[in-house]
Amino acid sequence: SALSRHCHGLREGQQQSGSGAGSGSDPGAGSGSGSGSARPQPPEPSLLRFLVCPLSKRPLRYEEATNELINEELGIAYPIIDGIPNMVPEAARMTRKEAPAEGSERP
Amino acid sequence: MAAARLCRCRCRALLSRPAGAVRARRGLAAGPEMHFGFQTVTEEERREKIYQVFENVAKKYDVMNDSMTLGIHRVWKDILVHKMNPCPGTLLLDVAGGTGDIAFRFINYVRSVRQRQLQRKLKHHQNLSWQQIFESYQKDEFNSLGDSQVVVCDINREMLKVGKQKAEHLGYSEGLSWVLGNAEELPFDDDKFDVYTIAFGIRNVTRIDLALQEAYRVLKPGGRFLCLEFSHVSNPLLSRLYDLYSFQVIPVLGEVIAGDWRSYQYLVESIRQFPPQVVNNYGTYFSGGAEGNDRRCRLFQSGL
Repeated sequence: SALSRHCHGLREGQQQSGSGAGSGSDPGAGSGSGSGSARPQPPEPSLLRFLVCPLSKRPLRYEEATNELINEELGIAYPIIDGIPNMVPEAARMTRKEAPAEGSERP
Repeated sequence: MAAARLCRCRCRALLSRPAGAVRARRGLAAGPEMHFGFQTVTEEERREKIYQVFENVAKKYDVMNDSMTLGIHRVWKDILVHKMNPCPGTLLLDVAGGTGDIAFRFINYVRSVRQRQLQRKLKHHQNLSWQQIFESYQKDEFNSLGDSQVVVCDINREMLKVGKQKAEHLGYSEGLSWVLGNAEELPFDDDKFDVYTIAFGIRNVTRIDLALQEAYRVLKPGGRFLCLEFSHVSNPLLSRLYDLYSFQVIPVLGEVIAGDWRSYQYLVESIRQFPPQVVNNYGTYFSGGAEGNDRRCRLFQSGL
């Protein structure tokens, strides 16, 4: 997939193909781990101490249901695939329908 | 020879390069045009091409490293970690560390330092009962790394996958984490790490200035930045042999071993294109640029 840099803005409503929510539980992901099929691997707890959103450098919340790291402020979620957090903006998805809180324009 | 000595590049050597390279080299700091090996590309194209190179070579990366450097890269990496001389409790960020070479060496190093610490501690506890010694040993056994940690950050998923598999295969798990991230935009908080390493990765970064800024940001005050990279050969005879080996032998090996000579063509070209004066400027960046003097870092120019 092309690595095009989005300048601190994610395209609205665009679901990043192949790295959207829930792909951490994709059994076809070819993970080397022996721990079997569909259970997503959560990140190391120690890692969560250091990880922040690469865009805003603000803390993240781990969402167990979708196995994602969520930046509530900007409304974006980074997937964790095969136990590896994908901390690049290109991989993130929007958690809300409207634009990120930065603009803060309510329709 | 590809030594890690940060030596100055002779102008003579530059002029003897293919004309395209010189033109491309001038484009390094300029606008949107950059070099990808000896080609001239836009910033965007460069990122994509480099991503593809490492995606293609990931599975054979270690084998090719051995072939390309005749196994010497292992020594350089050992030396890097020895120079780092981490004590237990060190937090290391290894950037562009995809397949884990530096991370594993770091873990081995702190583990052995920790073992010696524990042995010394036991020796001093001569007046404790066997029960107390046993309990103390049990407690420390679960802390065989002394709270040291290494985070491996790479932008390429394939390289990280290979690294993670290697770790599982070799039995590394404690104190080791893997993150997919961009060196130009690190997903880590400020002032977190004691050491930042980037081994044979910085010449593949498109915006080195941003990567340096990020390194500076995530390092604690007094933290260390260690960069291992190829430099240029000043001796003309060696230089010719090295060119021969690089441009005639390595791409062929790349095709035979990995089925992909283009990627290896890029890799050897990028070594030529990486200007050593960039590395020399790191020192200026880190020691001169900061507002806060408490963050002064010195550049270690280690000769190997």
